[in-house]
Amino acid sequence: MIREFTCIICPNGCEIQAEIHDNVLVSMTGHTCPKGEAYVKQELTDPRRNIATSVLVKGGELPLASVRLTSPIPKDQIFAAMEIIKSISLTAPVQAGTILLKNILGYDSDVIVTKTVNAAYDVAPATL
Amino acid sequence: MEKKDVVIVGGGPAGLAAAVELYKKGIRNILILEREHHLGGILRQCIHDGFGLSRFQTTLSGPEYAGRFMKEVMDCQIPFQTDTTVLDISSNKLVTAVSRDGLVQYEAKAVILAMGCRERTRGALGIPGERPAGVFTAGVAQAYMNLYNRMPAKEVVILGSGDIGMIMARRLTLEGAHVQAVFEVQPIPSGLPRNIEQCLNDYGIPLYLNHTITKIHGSSRLTGVTVSQVDSSLKPIPGTEKEYACDTLILSVGLIPENELSIDAGVTLDPRTKGAVVDEHFQTNVEGIFAAGNVLHVHDLVDFVSMEAEKLADSAASYVSNGTLPDCPIEITTDSRIGHTIPQKVSGAQDFQLSLRVRSLIKNCRIVVRQNGQEIASKRMKKALPAEMIQLTVKADSILSLDKLEVNVE
Amino acid sequence: MKNLYDVLVIGGGMIGSAIARELSRYDLKIGVLEKNLDVCYETSGRNSAVVHGGFAYDTGTLKAKLCVEGNQMMEELSRELDFPFLRCGKVLVGNTDEDMETLKRTLVQGEKNGATGLELIDEKRLHELVPAVVGKFAMFSSQSGILEPFQYTIALAENACQNGVKYFFDSEVTKICQDTEGHYLLTTPHGDFACRWVVNAAGLGCKKVSDMLGITGYQVIGSKGDYIILDKRTGPLLPMPVYPVPSNTYMGIHVTNTIDGNVIIGPNADKVSDFEYYGVPQENMDYLAESASRLWPHIHKADYIRNYSGILPKWVDDQGVIQDFKIEIREDIAPHAVNLVGIESPGLTAAVPIARHAINLIKEREKLSENPNFNPCRKGIVRFESLSLEEKARLIKENPDYGEVICRCEKVTKAEILQAIHNCLGVSTMAGIKYRTRSMMGRCQGGYCQMRLEQMIEEELGKKETEILYARQGSQVLFGKVRKEA
Repeated sequence: MIREFTCIICPNGCEIQAEIHDNVLVSMTGHTCPKGEAYVKQELTDPRRNIATSVLVKGGELPLASVRLTSPIPKDQIFAAMEIIKSISLTAPVQAGTILLKNILGYDSDVIVTKTVNAAYDVAPATL
Repeated sequence: MEKKDVVIVGGGPAGLAAAVELYKKGIRNILILEREHHLGGILRQCIHDGFGLSRFQTTLSGPEYAGRFMKEVMDCQIPFQTDTTVLDISSNKLVTAVSRDGLVQYEAKAVILAMGCRERTRGALGIPGERPAGVFTAGVAQAYMNLYNRMPAKEVVILGSGDIGMIMARRLTLEGAHVQAVFEVQPIPSGLPRNIEQCLNDYGIPLYLNHTITKIHGSSRLTGVTVSQVDSSLKPIPGTEKEYACDTLILSVGLIPENELSIDAGVTLDPRTKGAVVDEHFQTNVEGIFAAGNVLHVHDLVDFVSMEAEKLADSAASYVSNGTLPDCPIEITTDSRIGHTIPQKVSGAQDFQLSLRVRSLIKNCRIVVRQNGQEIASKRMKKALPAEMIQLTVKADSILSLDKLEVNVE
Repeated sequence: MKNLYDVLVIGGGMIGSAIARELSRYDLKIGVLEKNLDVCYETSGRNSAVVHGGFAYDTGTLKAKLCVEGNQMMEELSRELDFPFLRCGKVLVGNTDEDMETLKRTLVQGEKNGATGLELIDEKRLHELVPAVVGKFAMFSSQSGILEPFQYTIALAENACQNGVKYFFDSEVTKICQDTEGHYLLTTPHGDFACRWVVNAAGLGCKKVSDMLGITGYQVIGSKGDYIILDKRTGPLLPMPVYPVPSNTYMGIHVTNTIDGNVIIGPNADKVSDFEYYGVPQENMDYLAESASRLWPHIHKADYIRNYSGILPKWVDDQGVIQDFKIEIREDIAPHAVNLVGIESPGLTAAVPIARHAINLIKEREKLSENPNFNPCRKGIVRFESLSLEEKARLIKENPDYGEVICRCEKVTKAEILQAIHNCLGVSTMAGIKYRTRSMMGRCQGGYCQMRLEQMIEEELGKKETEILYARQGSQVLFGKVRKEA
């Protein structure tokens, strides 16, 4: 069976045709780098995605700090991960790079803050 | 009146990258003017990841990507002023700006235009129907959600398959809204394939090509939209109308370089890009005024914005040091399948990178640069998409005269 | 009776507010009942914003008389009420012999009406006045002009309010009856009101209110016109409104410069019976652009920033012929009700004379004593963008909020928006702030500033995000927060 994939690893978005038998990759064309092959293999066995969202910040100059996962988690766990992230609430100041939660849902992926939020009424602006 | 070597208008990705590069080239009397309270520009609300693969060889969220440049700005102590709006730039590089501290004028040797772009609106498209609340551009919805903690939507239809629209389809879905569909008037998507995959397909959101919105309903909040199929000339086909009940319409229908200040400064715009006409130094027709990033032409990736601004900064540094830059008399023309090129003029004296977009999907083609019929550079493309900016390098030693360069799809 | 008003005006548009303002010269307890959440959501804010010369109306009509009067007092009103008005002139452009005959007739009629500054001009003069227009000759009306219709209506209302008039929004009158003492009792969703005099200034609702007063039999049709607004970069190509030669009943699709430097194209004139549908159809937009391009060939889709429509209430006879303004007291049916029917164009030009005409009907029946505290002057919000650099610098020094630009396209500052949010009428919608400051009116249509406006309304007025309305009741902008505190 030939299955088509759009590789999401980089903006090139290679369109890959993969020949698959019993969920095993036999051959593939269309990818322009080794990441494409790894992506297809991952998609066949355990498709994973990253998510980016926000957590509430109290007392900050912004109401939210953006967060993402440090590595992708199984696609079907995205909404479960969202529920956990939604329940987190922080108090300013919050530093970008802070790990809020390790190994979310038991996967090797952490929730990391991607935007610095200063406490409200701080003098120095100009940081994210 | 303060004197500056370089005033940079805009503290987004283009302005920040230009500032850092100028600093590295030894130009220190510079000032970044940013109208918002924070540096970072639109990246502050682009909380999704996928930025930085080309520039930093790693995948980052928008705030992290901006944060890397901001850290350099801080570390180098490059002067910047936030909450400051530039009101005017004159052709002799007098920059007038206001902030809570007052009105200030800067006399600059060079001005870098890095104002970015704005979104095309419903009014600009002329979508028929009523004007209820609940019609947002994708960037407005994104700002409400990611910066202001405000939920603008429950039951959503999206018009336009631009990248921000698709990113918002996923973002809205993650936060509990229901995105019914994305409609695109063109026969091909306008955003990147990977966003169709990870923002739409992953969440079961259908994308309908050759469809557009032909009526907006609701006198207070949006109650629904009428969607029609379009023919090959993009005209709605009567009889194909379908009603979608929804409370929100998100528009992702294109970006327009924000050049109002440039026009006042006497900068000539290219009607194709809606940005300045620039030479290989990213200098506009007004000597000492440079432009890079989305104010010059809309990019698909922020990495290219930064890298373009860095190249600009190298030229601007040289301009500030020497007071002049080499002439660029060689014009670049294109065939009808190419939308535009950046730069539009070159000197022939140095290698340069040509950025361009094709107008429609072309498979198995070559982008060829010729001078007097002779091929001087080319790039083979398995698939050239309008959504993707194509770049190729042209070597100086291949340019043999001051005759124009022709860029063709073959 | 404790909540007894001397006069209640039904409708707070340009006419209702002009009446309220002119009435506030007298020592009266006055209220205005407006069904919308602001004063210019309907016809008052949805028109061409042209101050007419008065030549287009049959001699002897109220339309002709009050239009000429209104035109002449515009400078004084603009000074007193601090709204932008520009006596820029206007041309009616023709090409054929028939056009020339019509223009000659129009000119004679205009002069009979008392309009001044009318002349027929040749192609050369036409192109000196409006270089970018297409036409062989024209009638030039030097006394025509343009104003800012939102600002004008708001100015009238605010001046009325400052002189003691009470405005009630979201207060559509659904029933009118009289008590035993002859007082009118008006029912609204927010309670009942009683008054000695009632004024029907309901605009599109004039027939409904007239019927409620017992004055039945009027036929009022809607004439809906669509418009396209063009980017400010087109403004320099149009120093004054350019009209085609008018027909008997319709002025034709024209191009009009606006006070703020945009160009508007329109209107068509579709007969409608639904007075609440403001949708603009595709075919009308195409027709407007095509038709106006014949006069002024500078219409490009790339310059479109918005479209809108407005509806004029036209009083017609059984044959469908459009009638004059009706301003009356029907002694036989409703002796304490001033009934205004079919106030359409030139209602904008004639608003204050219409108001005075209506009030005279009361004064003929009751002696009104002067309001000793009446102040005809009202200050508007200073537009930062219009000031010189020195004035800008001075304002920021006095109030740093002028240094924060919130709307980038129209360069509206935080100081202006704060003044608008705390307007004396108590209007709190996004559109209300927009009409008072021009924020969100520029080419990005609020792409940059609308979140800031929304946040400022929340903060300044202590509202929840779900309470912020765009314009009308039910036009909720937001559904809540993305992240709530647990």
